[in-house]
Amino acid sequence: MTELATRWLGLDLRSPLVVGASPLTDDLDALKACVDAGAGAVVMHSLFEEQLVAEQMAAHKFIDSQINRDAEARSYFPESEIFEVGSHSYLRRLELLRSKLDVPVIASLNGVTPGGWTHHARELEDAGAEAIELNLYDLATDPSDTAATLEKRQLEVVQAVVAQVSVPVSVKLSPFYSALPAFVTGVEAAGARGLVLFNRFYQPDMDLDELTLSRDVVLSSNAELPLRLHAVASLFRRTGLEMAVSGGVHSGDDAVKAILAGATVVQVVSALLADGPEALGRITEEASRRLDRMGYNTLAEARGALSLDNAPNAHTWERLNYARLLQGWR
Amino acid sequence: MEFHTLDGNEAVASVAYRLSETIAIYPITPASVMGEHADDWSALARPNLWGEVPKVVEMQSEAGAAGAVHGALQAGSLVTTFTASQGLLLMLPNLFKIAGELSPFCMHIAARSVATHALSIFCDHSDVMTARGTGFALLASGSVQEAQDLTAIGHAVTLESRVPVMHFLDGFRTSHEISKIVALGDEELRALVPRAGLDAHRARRMTPDRPVVRGTSQNPDAFFQSREATNPFYQAFPDKLESVMDRFADITGRRYRLFDYVGHPEAERVVILMGSGAECAHETVEWLVRQGEKVGVLKVRLFRPFASDRLLEALPESVQQLAVLDRTKEPGAQGEPLLLEVSGALMEAYSRGERQTLPRLVGGRYGLSSREFTPAMVCAIFDELKAAAPKTRFTVGVRDDVTHLSLEVDAELDIELPETRRALFFGLGADGTVSSNKASIKILGEDTDLYAQGHFVYDSKKSGATTVSHLRFGPHPIRSSYQIRQAQFVAVHAPQFLERFDVLEHAAPGATVLLNVPWPPDQVWDRLSVEAQRVLVERKASLYVIDAADVAEKAGLERRINTVMQVCFFALADILPRAEAIERIKESIRQTWGRRGPEVVRRNVEAVDSALANLHEVPVPDQVTATRSRPPRVPDDAPDFVQKVTRLLLEGQGDRLPVSAFPPDGTWPTGTSQYEKRTIALEIPIWESDICVQCNFCAMICPHTAITSKVFEPDAVQGAPEAFETVPETQTSELEGLDYRIQVAPDDCTGCGLCVEVCPAKDRSQPKRKAINMRPLEEHRTVEAENLAFFRNLPPVPRDRIPRDFKALPLLIPLFEYSGACSGCGETPYIRLLTQLLGDRLLIANATGCSSIYGGNLPTTPYTVNPDGRGPTWNNSLFEDAAELGLGMRVGLNQLVTRARQLLEEFRPGLPEALYSDLTGPCATIDESAMMARREAVTRLRDWLADQPGAEADELASLADELCPKSVWVIGGDGWAYDIGYGGLDHALASGQNLKLLVLDTEVYSNTGGQQSKATPIGAVAKFASAGKETRKKDLGLLAMSYGHVYVAQIALQSHSNQTTKALQEAESYEGPALIIAHSPCIAHGYDLVHSPAQQRRAVDSWAWPLYRFDPRRIDDGLPPLQLDSVRQKVTMKEYMQEEARFRMLELRDPERYAQLVAAATEAAHDQRELYKQLAGIHLEPHEHGESDPEEGERHD
Repeated sequence: MTELATRWLGLDLRSPLVVGASPLTDDLDALKACVDAGAGAVVMHSLFEEQLVAEQMAAHKFIDSQINRDAEARSYFPESEIFEVGSHSYLRRLELLRSKLDVPVIASLNGVTPGGWTHHARELEDAGAEAIELNLYDLATDPSDTAATLEKRQLEVVQAVVAQVSVPVSVKLSPFYSALPAFVTGVEAAGARGLVLFNRFYQPDMDLDELTLSRDVVLSSNAELPLRLHAVASLFRRTGLEMAVSGGVHSGDDAVKAILAGATVVQVVSALLADGPEALGRITEEASRRLDRMGYNTLAEARGALSLDNAPNAHTWERLNYARLLQGWR
Repeated sequence: MEFHTLDGNEAVASVAYRLSETIAIYPITPASVMGEHADDWSALARPNLWGEVPKVVEMQSEAGAAGAVHGALQAGSLVTTFTASQGLLLMLPNLFKIAGELSPFCMHIAARSVATHALSIFCDHSDVMTARGTGFALLASGSVQEAQDLTAIGHAVTLESRVPVMHFLDGFRTSHEISKIVALGDEELRALVPRAGLDAHRARRMTPDRPVVRGTSQNPDAFFQSREATNPFYQAFPDKLESVMDRFADITGRRYRLFDYVGHPEAERVVILMGSGAECAHETVEWLVRQGEKVGVLKVRLFRPFASDRLLEALPESVQQLAVLDRTKEPGAQGEPLLLEVSGALMEAYSRGERQTLPRLVGGRYGLSSREFTPAMVCAIFDELKAAAPKTRFTVGVRDDVTHLSLEVDAELDIELPETRRALFFGLGADGTVSSNKASIKILGEDTDLYAQGHFVYDSKKSGATTVSHLRFGPHPIRSSYQIRQAQFVAVHAPQFLERFDVLEHAAPGATVLLNVPWPPDQVWDRLSVEAQRVLVERKASLYVIDAADVAEKAGLERRINTVMQVCFFALADILPRAEAIERIKESIRQTWGRRGPEVVRRNVEAVDSALANLHEVPVPDQVTATRSRPPRVPDDAPDFVQKVTRLLLEGQGDRLPVSAFPPDGTWPTGTSQYEKRTIALEIPIWESDICVQCNFCAMICPHTAITSKVFEPDAVQGAPEAFETVPETQTSELEGLDYRIQVAPDDCTGCGLCVEVCPAKDRSQPKRKAINMRPLEEHRTVEAENLAFFRNLPPVPRDRIPRDFKALPLLIPLFEYSGACSGCGETPYIRLLTQLLGDRLLIANATGCSSIYGGNLPTTPYTVNPDGRGPTWNNSLFEDAAELGLGMRVGLNQLVTRARQLLEEFRPGLPEALYSDLTGPCATIDESAMMARREAVTRLRDWLADQPGAEADELASLADELCPKSVWVIGGDGWAYDIGYGGLDHALASGQNLKLLVLDTEVYSNTGGQQSKATPIGAVAKFASAGKETRKKDLGLLAMSYGHVYVAQIALQSHSNQTTKALQEAESYEGPALIIAHSPCIAHGYDLVHSPAQQRRAVDSWAWPLYRFDPRRIDDGLPPLQLDSVRQKVTMKEYMQEEARFRMLELRDPERYAQLVAAATEAAHDQRELYKQLAGIHLEPHEHGESDPEEGERHD
């Protein structure tokens, strides 16, 4: 059988299949089941910059502003309840997962401004995170923000987070960069150790009855995988960063494709949310059998075999292929 | 010596907590805070003096708390409690028991007026004076330092003497005053409290190991002797107290006596009093003695047992004139209690020859309901004592132009030391002014050698409230137990105050005035009114301005301007070096908000850092240049009473009104809130008639009746203001041909945004534009105020034309408007809807709580009248007895109806037959046509009676209105219905009377600040349930259903107004008792109430708040009485709970416990759902009406 053990960000993983950042963080039993099913590591859902700030300020506005405003009611909650609306509960969750799961636990931070929140990275490390996944989730809506401005800001965030911690930092990106390889070079220079490609925008849908936007989360399908494969294949050997594929992995073959494109690990979320923790066992089993049938002894042999550097028809990854398809269609 | 800067409540609680094992309490203003501190410390596992964590239990009422205290004492525990006012009165029976059993026990009272013609939360001694016969010792303290010290002394002496002690401090004045005091440490307490007394108390405990009986019933042969057997304990008490006080002095250096005399050693004129007023008298006496006057003050520490010998020892022999001051009123008494005690002591001493002269003795009342008691008043009393024939009974602090008892007072007199710095701050309730002033006092008290004092005054509004902070700092101890009258620093934290009242009235000559205004500094002077400019010019004030709202906004703090203003205060007041002051402020922010999160700290610190750059001095010219006067507080067309009385109350000048201005029996006109224009919203809803679908949801949900809709005849709008838009009514066929408009009341809106939130109509091209949208007040205020005036006077269409469905109901005229409730309040829409349905035939019995404060707290009332002059009539008796009050109203009213009908029968032979039949047929309160016909018939009857001779014709004419049926509704919150008033509520339901009870259920004590009730759901954090409530919410509805004859409904107006309107009408039409439990979103839930409709929907959909109606009439139709209006569970309990801070805070602090409680809440909802589903499916055989014997009924089958 193919040896599935691998190293990711300097951590020894027994499998490249990793539980990606998701609501599963809150479900210890499901996470335990995933680990029992062979998961190599667990990524927690993100500690959100906006969430932290918004909830703190909401508490300040809706609870603290009610203090000392009335002769009869000094306040409306017990004084001992000036609770921290910050990273506290996340850190306790992290500690719990660390104590209950015998695979590496990777904490996740999500933010776009290099302000005061990056100190949470240190808190995550202190609470036992073995690595930090930094999710750069940025939406450009201001016409005066150029791509260069946004990218510069993002690289500053990476730098700020890396400076806070001694554990490795991976960076999760969106697919929407004009010059992904160049940006990735910047990420590497900023001190990151890995890349996670890509985050999925939870794009709102429209509710035509109510003439409003809806926030239903749509799970991924493996139709989203090729975008990732393309990016990983193009970056393989062109960056010193280790890569993870995230999004669209629903079967063993999907995972194998990610590895062949050049991924070190493969994150799974939607399959677990849809089918439960058993899905992880199934994907592992399928991938393992496939790799074995393909004759790989180790993952390292398989990694990047169909990347831009190594594929027999590598030009298919490139622009030329696009032109032919169009002609063929015509 | 360790100094602490804290308020009286905390000072007392800190000592009482450390000296107790069991604490049983019930919240009541102003004593709630003492219990809350104890609960907080217990939750944090802070130990008492002996290393145990005291157990704090919240009971269902003060009567319950007293019972629990009694039981804990019998079990051998060290016990304390805290209460006030009616709470103390509810405890009285147990206090007699506790004293009768000679149980060592010390309780603490934040003395507060007992409600008479009106409720008052403020201070006087009428509550403790009702307890003077209980057998408790009464100890009075006059300052925060004394309150702390006498707490320790009280707990110690009760253990030594076995006489229970009631220690009282003046409510608000001392309980809420922040002061720098020398704190009592554990070692000092240990040295003070006798171990032997504790052991002896425990040894007397009830135990089956050494059984005894107590609480026997005794007959005439035994009772009397037993009572007399306690005499030695009371005789010994003064000595024991003195010895404890001596020991206390040895330990701490602070000496107290049973009576403390201050003043000239050969004083000729002396005043005697107790409580905080004695501090003011002390300060004044020292000032007068410095002027060469032979005066003194005797402070009473021990009122009961009254130690006459100590009084006589303490009173200088030289006294010729003596005034005894009582802070209570006992109508009809020879004198108030202290006067009688002193007078008795003197008389006895004189008659026994122990005292050679008898000073001339007069008695005065002062300070009722926290009326100010000032040095000028003390001087007035001393002046009166100089008179040849002083008034034997007088009042001071009021102008009594009816019985002429009051003394003249020199309002200008100011005796405060110039070294004492005085600062006044006018703030908005929610802007954090009081919080930052408390922080400033702590900074100055704890980080400098200065003495510091803070006193805070709040109006009674729950939205847009005004707070006034009185801060004093100085090198000498501060005894000024009265508000600042000459301030060297005046800060006005909201620009609207300049237009509302004379905020600069108390600026001292040369004062520094700081204004927060949104105007450029160079425009400020010109924008001030004549009145404001005049004060600044005449008093040669320095004027500084800042746009603090802008600074706060830029720092991301919205309108929370307090830290910005705090920096300006320190910068201008020059008490600390600026840099040091700023660092201390930042440190205080970090200490207070550090736990809340770094972003909160960062933004506040940013606001601090940007404050000074925005502070500007505005030169004050030599003369007034303005021509604009401050606008009148009430409009010129307001009724005479409003002009003469309400206006002064609104201007904060009520103290100046004479006795004759007031109704002597507490009867006030309704319909006055329309004259109190508070203008507190920054944005108001503006109607877009082209988009509106006329659903009236906005008018249905508005908590303040600040947005209303109306239909009217199209020609009624002739002469309307230009901007007065109307559209044809298109939604309701019955209203065809009428015009329609939605109108905002710009000066009454609080800007909560609920109306916009529920508006379903959208511009199809730009859906964010709704049929109403929040727009800046200033752009629309004038126009909409004119529109409103016209709108209010539009003649309404006949009530019977408006269908009684949930969409059309808001078109009925509301008779509850512009209340002082919180922005976004979830209670008030129910009340307004009730007044729309039944207001002109409605009697309301209101339990004390939020609804009695926004419903009946002066200066104005939101209950109003229709164009016929009819409207709800309202009364609040107590917290606990609203159901009984309502029951009494119903029964009493029924008797009048019976009498009216009896008289009608007597007149029947002469009455036109048609008139008789019009007056006697069926007429239900919700049958509008019948009601209109009946009223018309009553008018005809009166006309007919006018020509009839005899007293009975007059009597029937006076009772004729009772031939039109009336509705009696009881309104109260969950604290009333589930806890303190449950017994009465249950009894009212059981009575079968035609009485309706509306429970505005916020699931927590809202008015007193978030204490848990039995309505608090599992998992919610509340005071006295700080780890999250573990037990299920009481199913009040199910308990009521168990009677079988009670109509019961659970409703939720913000999300299900259709079901709400059905339930209210069914309840009213039901001939018997009805209970309506109304889900009421509240600020105590900890979220932005603009989301309350969605959140309430989650409550319903998760079965946290199932909707149902239980109608006994359905049995007759062969239907199950219970029908569920929400059947399925559509969202999980967790999805509901995670949206409110009361649940979320537990998740953040203890996720495991949160998960357990979510599971428990889920189970509770599941169980309730399963039970209710079965109940909604049962079949009961229709009752055989008229059959009294069920068995006989069966035989007929």
